[in-house]
Amino acid sequence: MSALIEFDQVSGLLRGTERGPVALTLLAAEEWTPESEAGLLLAVDDELQPQFANASLIAVEFPSFHDGRGLSLAVLLRTRLGYTGELRAVGDVHPDLIHYLRRCGFDSFLLPEGRQVGLEDAVLAPYSDYYQASVVEPHPAFRRSRRIAHFGDR
Amino acid sequence: MYQYDQFDHQFVAERVANYRAQTGRFLAGELSEEQFQHLRLRNGLYLQRLAPMLRVAVPYGTLSSLQLRALAAIARDFDRGYGHLSTRQNMQYNWPELADVPDILEALAKVEMHAIQTSGNCIRNVTTDQFAGVAADELLDPRPYCEIIRQWSTSHPEFDWLPRKFKIAVTGARHDRAAVDVHDIGLHVYLDDNGERLVDVKVGGGLGRTPVIGCVIRRGLPMIHLLTYLEAIMRVYNRYGRRDNKFKARIKILVRAMGEEGFREKVDAEWSELEGSPSTLTAEEISRIESFFEPPEYPKIDDGIASLAQQRLENPAFSRWVEHNVAPHKVSGYAVVTLSTKVTGVPPGDVTDRQMEAVADWADDYGFGEIRIAHEQNFVLPDVPVKSLYALWERALQAQLAEPNVGLLTDIICCPGGDYCSLANAKSIPVAEAIQQRFDDYDYLHDLGPIDINISGCMNACGHHHVGHIGILGVDKKGQEFYQISLGGSAGNDSALGQIVGPSFSRAEMPDVLAIILDVYVNLRADDETFLETYRRVGIEPFKERIYVSAD
Repeated sequence: MSALIEFDQVSGLLRGTERGPVALTLLAAEEWTPESEAGLLLAVDDELQPQFANASLIAVEFPSFHDGRGLSLAVLLRTRLGYTGELRAVGDVHPDLIHYLRRCGFDSFLLPEGRQVGLEDAVLAPYSDYYQASVVEPHPAFRRSRRIAHFGDR
Repeated sequence: MYQYDQFDHQFVAERVANYRAQTGRFLAGELSEEQFQHLRLRNGLYLQRLAPMLRVAVPYGTLSSLQLRALAAIARDFDRGYGHLSTRQNMQYNWPELADVPDILEALAKVEMHAIQTSGNCIRNVTTDQFAGVAADELLDPRPYCEIIRQWSTSHPEFDWLPRKFKIAVTGARHDRAAVDVHDIGLHVYLDDNGERLVDVKVGGGLGRTPVIGCVIRRGLPMIHLLTYLEAIMRVYNRYGRRDNKFKARIKILVRAMGEEGFREKVDAEWSELEGSPSTLTAEEISRIESFFEPPEYPKIDDGIASLAQQRLENPAFSRWVEHNVAPHKVSGYAVVTLSTKVTGVPPGDVTDRQMEAVADWADDYGFGEIRIAHEQNFVLPDVPVKSLYALWERALQAQLAEPNVGLLTDIICCPGGDYCSLANAKSIPVAEAIQQRFDDYDYLHDLGPIDINISGCMNACGHHHVGHIGILGVDKKGQEFYQISLGGSAGNDSALGQIVGPSFSRAEMPDVLAIILDVYVNLRADDETFLETYRRVGIEPFKERIYVSAD
């Protein structure tokens, strides 16, 4: 069975969840309306529409785990559209790439069957910090005190 | 040069741990071949014809003597005692064991090195002018901006899973030695009249199956906007670049499909949303990074010209080497030396552990402990006192690194080809060797003057054959290795793509065909014309006629 991983706001960690693949119905962009109860299912090449901001849940489907279009789409949903609801990666999602997905604004990840191995923190969050700005860290390292404090400490 | 702070050290250490765990999971069967392929490619490991190949990043081709000694030790401990200088200024090892790679990465991390993003569909190691910081014709040292781009592109959340590999080159000199016209993004950095740092941005150049000269999409961009502007380009490419056909996935194809104007509009629209965002560089950050590249305190020394003239008079072999392998330095009394790896019988770019250690010693003895790797697959010592040239030359002779052929016919750029690479259609190293063997008369080579021969074993063009004055491409004809010749290519300020002369030749025919091409040039050249100048004046026809008449 598939496994859902969620970002826990309280602990700031990614955790596997008991709730399993949520039963919420998903509708593709052509069928979905802001009035629908269902969540919105986007393909990685869908263009942004302003009403997406009102969705209860947006899932982006990755046709293959190494297709990076879903990363740019997530960044735009978060930063250009201001979408604040749950943003879920579905399809061919790989645990080793979750740290990229997370930084682009995804906060839950539905792993396909057989991908549950290796879900420890070392896989999900292998780095303690990154150079660039991202959706979850709007300031690049060079603007943050942590890096500046190390200046001179070579 | 740049030195890691705690932040860099930590990131690289975590990368090693992450990669070690991924290797372990692959060996334990928890990751499939296909899954591991994408992960290992983000860390420079290819599975080649005979063994894995590990490509180590040498950021913008700059190394310290300490780092070069560490690379020598890795060649000895984990490989067969040699490494290979690539056309992207990196160091490649052809015989490591897959299971040893995490240990190699750990050894690299100790000397502030890594293999991050040296392969795979991501932003690759940024390249630049091998004479950066010391070139007499430099407008602005490009290395700080290379380092800024290195940090920004390392494990970028959004741009590490692109349609295809992505190469950025930066130049800051009047004469472009970084081939910025044939990169996905080519940057030209300079100062304006008020001393403000500016950058011209070119996009969509590249070699490979569809060679293209890049087009300028932005002139005079203030440097603080460098990263947000790159972000806009990368986002347009990541979203709209083709992913259905790997041969049409480079940015050049997207630029062509959208049109230069259409692409620029799309990037500008994206950038209008990003301009001024927190990724905008600060003056403090630019000075922080620039401070690492401040010129060393050059001791004031005699210009050495008188004694050099005397030494050259007394020793014609030394004189030849000075003529071709020594370039002017911006500080009086110093020179920039290129140590050629192009010795007959040795694959271009291959260097042994002992040669690496020798070069490291010379960098300490005749410089400030710094070494460069040129994209022409040679070592460069950037700060050699003119008065020490003779002593250095004698030592380089002993180490087989004093071939006086920089820029000449035998200074061949060559990919590893079918001897190593699983993508190759044909071997390239034996062709280079046959040419070097055939044309071993120095007087003839010097008389011919500057000629770039670039050899690639397949359309991927790692040997940059399109921009060789004489380009050679290995092709497969019904299972046989053949070679197609193009003429008139050029990298640099007057970039041009070579034109194919006609049907291809067998490997055995190649030296004779080369001899005909050179003969046509020698007969047609006027005064001091170089090969390229003659070609541009007379065109391809006279060459074609002679080659195919003789072949009949």
